[in-house]
This record gives sequence, C-alpha cells and structure tokens, in this order.
Amino acid sequence: MPCPYGTAIPHRSMPRLLLLLPTATYRAAAFVEAARRLSVDLTVASEQPSTFAQAQPDRLLTLDFRLPEQAAAQARAFAEQVPVHGVVGVDDDTAVVAAAVAAKLRLRGNPVGAATAARDKYRQRVLLAEARVPVPRFARHRTTEDPHAVAAAARYPCVLKPLRLAASRGVIRADDPAGLVAAFGRLRAILEEPDVARCGDWAGQVLVEDFIPGPEVALEGLVTGGRLRTLALFDKPDPLDGPFFEETIYVTPSALPANAQQKIADCAQQAVTALGLWEGPVHAELRYNDRGPWLIELAARPIGGRCSGALRFGSREQGAGSSWVSLEEVVLRNALGMPLPALERERLASGVMMIPVPRGGVLREVRGLAEARAVPLVEEVAITAHPGQTLVPWPEGSRYPGFIFARGETPEAVVAALREAHRRLEFVLA
Amino acid sequence: MTPPEIRISAEPVDIGRCKFLVSEPVHAGGVRRFASPEEAKGSPLVEAIFAIPGADVAEVIVSGGLVTVAKRSPTPWQVVGKAVGQAIRAALASGRPAVAAKLATSGGGGADDDALYERVADLFEHQVNPMVARHGGRVELIDVQDAVVMLRLGGGCQGCGMADVTLRQGIEAMLHEHVPDVKGVVDITDHAAGSNPYFAAAKK
Repeated sequence: MPCPYGTAIPHRSMPRLLLLLPTATYRAAAFVEAARRLSVDLTVASEQPSTFAQAQPDRLLTLDFRLPEQAAAQARAFAEQVPVHGVVGVDDDTAVVAAAVAAKLRLRGNPVGAATAARDKYRQRVLLAEARVPVPRFARHRTTEDPHAVAAAARYPCVLKPLRLAASRGVIRADDPAGLVAAFGRLRAILEEPDVARCGDWAGQVLVEDFIPGPEVALEGLVTGGRLRTLALFDKPDPLDGPFFEETIYVTPSALPANAQQKIADCAQQAVTALGLWEGPVHAELRYNDRGPWLIELAARPIGGRCSGALRFGSREQGAGSSWVSLEEVVLRNALGMPLPALERERLASGVMMIPVPRGGVLREVRGLAEARAVPLVEEVAITAHPGQTLVPWPEGSRYPGFIFARGETPEAVVAALREAHRRLEFVLA
Repeated sequence: MTPPEIRISAEPVDIGRCKFLVSEPVHAGGVRRFASPEEAKGSPLVEAIFAIPGADVAEVIVSGGLVTVAKRSPTPWQVVGKAVGQAIRAALASGRPAVAAKLATSGGGGADDDALYERVADLFEHQVNPMVARHGGRVELIDVQDAVVMLRLGGGCQGCGMADVTLRQGIEAMLHEHVPDVKGVVDITDHAAGSNPYFAAAKK
C-alpha cells in the first residue's frame, strides 16, 4: 500500500517542524524540549496568538484549529515563505489539522478522513464494526430525543458518551432505564455548556454503547507506513466500572499474559488499518475479557496529559541507560523522517497516576508534597492545577489537578508507591 | 535557642533539572550559576552537590532560597534529591556561607556579563515586557553569568501552559536576534506557585 502523501521531503541539515499546540495543552514543555534536543527549527502554531507572534513570524503562527482545511491553507502560505518539513498535532483536534496540513504540503501524515474518523467516536465505531474489529454494540442519538425512548431501546449495562470530548468527560454508565434517563440529562447538560455547544453538530449527539466488562488497558503505539508498533501497553489497576470513568493509574509493563497482549496488539492493528491511519502516534483504549480484546477507542495522537513522562526509550546512538529518548522525540523524529531510536522501552516498570479530583471547589493549596515526593520509587509529583483554580469532578470535569510518576523493579511496587504518594497529599479546597 | 527547622521541597522540571525550594535563604547575594566543579570551589554547598556520586551534575544555580540543579545522569531525582537536600542542610548548619559571593570579574566574564546584562535589560524593558504584558505577564532579568541569562517569569506567564513556548520561541529568539552573544537562557521561575496563568492546561 503506497504512502498517501509520498515520502518525507528531503530536508536541509536543520529541518523545520510545524508543531500544532493548543493553548490548553499540558505538552508544550515536552514537545519544545524534544525539538531542542533534535536541533530542529520549530514553528509553534496555536489557536490563539502568542504575544510574540508579530516579532517572531517564522517561529509562531496562529491557526484556527476548528477549520482544518482553512488552517492547512494558511500553513501552505506560511510554508511558501518558510519551508516546513514535518507537522505534528498533539491532541484530537490538532491531529486532524495536522493531517490536513500534511496533505496540503505533502508531508508525512495520516489521510484526513482517517484522522477525522479517529476523532469521532461514532464514525470510528462504524468503520471498526464494518471491518469486524470487536467494538461494543452502539447507537447514536440526538440530545433532542426523548430519553425514555432511548432507554427503552438500550441494553444494560450501557455507557453514554459524547462523540468527541476528551479525558472521559461526560462518559456515564447506566445500569437500567432510570439510570439512562438520568445520565442522558446529565450528559446533555454538559453538551449544552457554551464551550462545548459551539463546537459543532456533534455536540448535539450522544453515543449509547454496551458496557464491556473486564480490565482496561491503554496501548501507546507508533504507526509507520500503516504498520503499528507497540511502544507500551499500560494496565489500569483501578477498575473502570463507572458510573464515571475518571482515569487514575497507568502502569507498564502489563501483567496480562503474552498471548493476551499479542491479541490486544493485533486488535489495535486491525483498528489502525480499518480507520486508514498511516503515519504517527496512536493511543488506544481496549478491554480484555474471556471473549478477547475489545477496541473501546483509538486516537491518532500520543497519550494525553503529562502521562508521556512515564515512557522513555533507549537511544540507539548512545546506548540504553546512558541517554533516554522521550515519546515526544520519537513522534517528532517520525514526522520529520529522521532515524528512529530502538523504540524499546526501559527495563524498569513505570507508572503514572492522574491525581483524582478530591471534590469540587477552589484549590487553595496542596499539602504533603515533600512527604509524597519522599516515597521510595516516586520520581515526580507535579501539581498542574494552580491556586485559585476551580476543580470540577467527573463527569463534568476533565482536568486532573496533577500527576505522580514512579519507577521500580515491578509494576506492583510502582503502583504501591503511587498510591502511597497520593495518600500523603492533601488538597485544601474552599 | 533551637535553630529553625529547614524545610526543602523538590520540584523536578524534568529528568534533567530539579528545583529545590528551601525555607531559609541559601544565598542572599543575588543569583550565582556554576557550570563545573571548578567554578564551585569556595562554595561548600555547590561543591557538595557537584560531588554527589552518580549524579553527574552539570549545573547549579542558587538564588535566595532556590537551588536549581541540572544533571546528566538518568538516576531519578528521588535518589539525587535526597543527597541534594542533605547537602543543603549540612551547608546551612555549618554556619559558614554556603555560596561564595560573586566576584566583580569572576570567571573572566564579569565585565562582559555586565555589558550583556545592560543590553538584555534594555531589550526586556523596551521590547519583551511590553509584549508579554498583553497576557498579563512580565519577565524579570535576574542575572547574566558567563553569557547565560537567568530570568524569572511572573504574572500571567507564571505557571502558564504555554510558558515554554513564550520562553523558547519568543524570548530566546529575541535574545538571539538582538543580543547574539547570549549563550543560553535559564528560567528559574517557580511555576507551581503561579496563581493566575494566562493559559491553563486540560487533558486531551
């Protein structure tokens, strides 16, 4: 199968990367640092102008991420002045824009249709089901429908989801018709919030799908030429059984048997192929039970939040252990057609906890940081919420107040360290 | 009289850099940056940090109650940080200055640094700060040592999700253009304490 957009354009000694960074990203530091390590020229595009945009027009660009084709046209005009050799989007929306830019500039990337399908949970399920990738049975409804009629048609337990929101925002389990009616109203309220409602027609729709029992895993991968390479498989030791689906701990390597891991990787590859993804990072959520793997979601972007800090890879040039390559560096290298490192994750087990929102309220301070950081195996406790920030619990919320990272000899030891560090933290809310 | 309890909080920036916030002043004479064990001679705290086994420390910056350490080794901060904390406590308990005062012409670059400081300060005042002020931010020039600019971000820039973009794509680029003799930029901002960032992050 040929690459949709040809091969990467041969570049000068200092290739230029167009990095699509939404202003609400956690990942600016990691991607900017990766670009520095690679000594590539960097242009950062965001949906809101930087205060330096006029002073540094080669380095800073403003693109409307809501309009991928228009953004791609702007990028092409920019590239006529400042040649661009690679493009990377870091989240669901910018992954689609990156695909449009890649198509316009004939760079490495995904077909626009594939990236668009990966972003839309309904479109994704349609394509996956057609390709016989195991997905939950699903149905799409408009928020204007009578929820009692929706409830009468559903199977239980089921899960209600918005078509596009990230971080499990608005995802609610219902165990019976009354629960579905309540969940439907709650999700509709989220979709009617101004920041969501203005995003498009998808905000007027709801996905209702079977709840799939079994442990959930997250697969981090890199697609090159349509072939998926698994970079890491994370277990999620806290059961995600609802009623809401706020993430907590990711730990790798997975404790699942090797044959189960292979089936999961095969399932993710099927999904990549079914969607038509060709080039770049993917993050997939799957469940595994006695019927095998189930593809819950697959996104054409790297892992969210600051969770990529849990991953590091051996450097082929300098030898594993002496220098590490970040996930962001892997992503940038691939986008620019640069040689990839070995893509072998470090030997140690590694984990991250997305710190749960303790309750709703305004954050005043976080106590116990020194004590949490003193827990053996804990490497970092990063509080990303700022004093004065309102913390909103799931399903309405989508912002974790921080992240805890740990490394150790075994996944069990890592998980225990993460839990102990979390136990020592106290969030003071008003 | 019992000496005050010294509290130290470690804030790793990444695997290579970590900030240590100390409840007592470590060095009151402005900012000092050390890029090698040789430069650390005469400053007991910094000598001790460079001597931490297996850390391969690359840089130490001390300013008031803030000690920033950069290392090359993959050893986690959870390990190195304890040794840094012990070094800080020992240096403060000794009763002697933990960090030597900066000499007017130390390292052979003092006069050059003074000249660079003036040029960078002028750039910050007349071009950089008016720009970041549009987002309620400000940039404070702390010092220039060995042609490395140390700065602190405040207001809307402190804790902002796009602070690194502002720093690398904006401020650093402006310095490269207008003061090309500058060799590097170090941000010593305590971003975790930012209470009003212009852009706040959300998981996607």
